Amino acid sequence: MKRTLTYVASICALLFIWEMASIAVNAINNAPLLPGPFNALSQVVKNAAELQHHFLASAWRLILAILIALATGVPLGLTTGREPTLDRFLSPIIYITYPIPQVALILFLFVVFGTGSGTKVAMVALVLFFQILVSARGAAKNIPEEHIISVRSAGASRWQIYWHVILPASLPDILTSVRVSIGLGIAFLYIAETNAALGTGLGGYINKHMLFQRDRAFAGIIALALLGLILYLAVDGLERILCRWKYVSRRAR
Amino acid sequence: MIEVRSLKIDYGSPGSAVRAVDGVDFTLDRGRSLALIGPSGCGKTTILFSISGLLLPTEGTITISGTPVTGPRRDVALILQNAGLLPWKTVWQNANLSLLLSGDYPKQDAGAVLDELGLSEVKDRYPAELSEGMKRRVGIARALSTAPSVMLMDEPLASLDTLTRERIQDLFLTLWRTHKFSLILVTHDIEEAAFLGQEILVLTERPARIKERVENPEMGGLDYRESAAYTQTVRKLREVLEK
Ligand SMILES: Nc1ncnc2c1ncn2[C@@H]1O[C@H](COP(=O)(O)OP(=O)(O)O)[C@@H](O)[C@H]1O
Ligand SMILES: [Mg+2]
Repeated sequence: MKRTLTYVASICALLFIWEMASIAVNAINNAPLLPGPFNALSQVVKNAAELQHHFLASAWRLILAILIALATGVPLGLTTGREPTLDRFLSPIIYITYPIPQVALILFLFVVFGTGSGTKVAMVALVLFFQILVSARGAAKNIPEEHIISVRSAGASRWQIYWHVILPASLPDILTSVRVSIGLGIAFLYIAETNAALGTGLGGYINKHMLFQRDRAFAGIIALALLGLILYLAVDGLERILCRWKYVSRRAR
Repeated sequence: MIEVRSLKIDYGSPGSAVRAVDGVDFTLDRGRSLALIGPSGCGKTTILFSISGLLLPTEGTITISGTPVTGPRRDVALILQNAGLLPWKTVWQNANLSLLLSGDYPKQDAGAVLDELGLSEVKDRYPAELSEGMKRRVGIARALSTAPSVMLMDEPLASLDTLTRERIQDLFLTLWRTHKFSLILVTHDIEEAAFLGQEILVLTERPARIKERVENPEMGGLDYRESAAYTQTVRKLREVLEK
C-alpha cells in the first residue's frame, strides 16, 4: 500500500516537473515549444491505434535484438571468462573493437541489411552484444573457485560445470546487463529508426512529428518510455523466477 | 585401501615451481580413519585434492582399492571447508547433485540420507536460509548420497562455533562407524584430529612432509573427549606441533 503510494507520488512529481518545464520554456521563448504532459497524453489517446502499430514494430525489434545479443554474448562471454587460452586470443579483439562506436557502422549495415528491420535489429544487437559479452565474461571470472571444485570433485564434465555452476552464478549479472541493455537498446533503436526515415517504429514517428506536431512527437516519447518500463518489469519478473535463491535470504530462517 | 607413495606436488610451471608436498607416504586400510594436521599453508589441501583426483601428483603414486587415481571417482567423496553448497540450488538439489552429475538421479536419490541427517523438513530451502550447522549437514548428505568408500574432508568445520562444531564432530564419528567409509580428515584443530583420527599425521611447514605419526587407537566413542587417552593424544599433538 505504502509502496503504491510512493509510486503514484513519483509519477505525479515527474508530471509536475514536466509541466513546470513546459511553462517555463514556453514563457521564456514566448512560443509553445515544449508541450506539457497533458497535451502529450491526450495525443497518446487520440493516436492510440497508430502509436500501437509503431510501438509493436519497435518492441519486437528491441526484443529480437536483445535475444540475439544474449544468444551470442552469453556463451562467448562465459567461455572467455573461464577458458584462459580462449581469453588470451579473444580479449585483444574485444578490447580493440569494443570502444569503436558501433553507430559508425550504421551506413555499412544499411548496405548489408537494407532499409528494413534487418538493419535496425542488427545495429541494436551489435551494441548490446558487447555489453552482454563483457558482463558475462566478468561474471564468469569472478565465480568462487570452491563452487567449481565442489562439482568437479563430484565428477562433473566441463559442460556440466557450465550448466550447474557458471551459468547460474553469472545469471544475476547477465540480467543486470540486460537491464542496462534496455536503455541502451532504446537509444540505438531510435537512432537506427530515424536514419531509415521510411517505415514503422516509434523512432521514425517521433522524428517525423518533432518539428511541426510536437505534442504528437512527445506522445511517441511516452510510448518509448512505456516500452522501456514494460521490458524492465519483465526482466525483474524473470529475475524473481530464475534467481529465486537471491531473494530467499530475506525470508526468516 | 588407500596407498600414497612418495607423493610430491609442485605448483606453477617447471621452471618456477613451488613445491607444496615433498615426499608423503602412508597407507590407510579400508574403514579406518586418518587425520592430517599441520600449520596453515603447509600443503594439506593439496594432498587431499590429489587423493580426490582433482590434482595430479608431480611425482609418486596414489592408488585406491588397487587402481591408480587419475581423476575424480564415484567411490570418493570430498567435503570442502564451507560445505561446497551451490547457493542457487535447494537443499534437495544440492544433496542430489553428485547423483545427478553421474546420471543416477532420479533412479537413486538422497531421500534416505536427508532423513538420516534430519534435513527432510528443509529440503525445499536454499542454503542462504539455513544455519551454518545445517549447511554442513547438507554437504555431508551430498557426500553420503553416492555411498562412497572413501570420505575426504578439508577442514569441514572451520568457522563453526564450538558447540556446533562438537555436535557435527559427533555426527561424523557416528556416520563413520555406521557407513564404514575410510576417512581422511584435514584439519588444523588439534582436538578435532584427536577425536576423529585413529592415526594422526603431523605435517611440517610447507613443503609438507610427515613430521610424526601419532597412533590414537582408543578413539571411536562419543565420550572419548572425557577420557585420559584423549587428553594424552591432545598433549602429544601439541608437543609435536610446537617442536
Ligand atoms: N593453485 C596454486 N598455485 C600456486 N600455489 C598454490 C596453489 N594452491 C596452493 N598453493 C600454495 O601451496 C601451499 C600449500 O597450499 P594448501 O595445500 O592449500 O595448504 P593448506 O591446505 O595446508 O593450508 C601454499 O603455500 C599455497 O600458497
Ligand atoms: Mg587448506
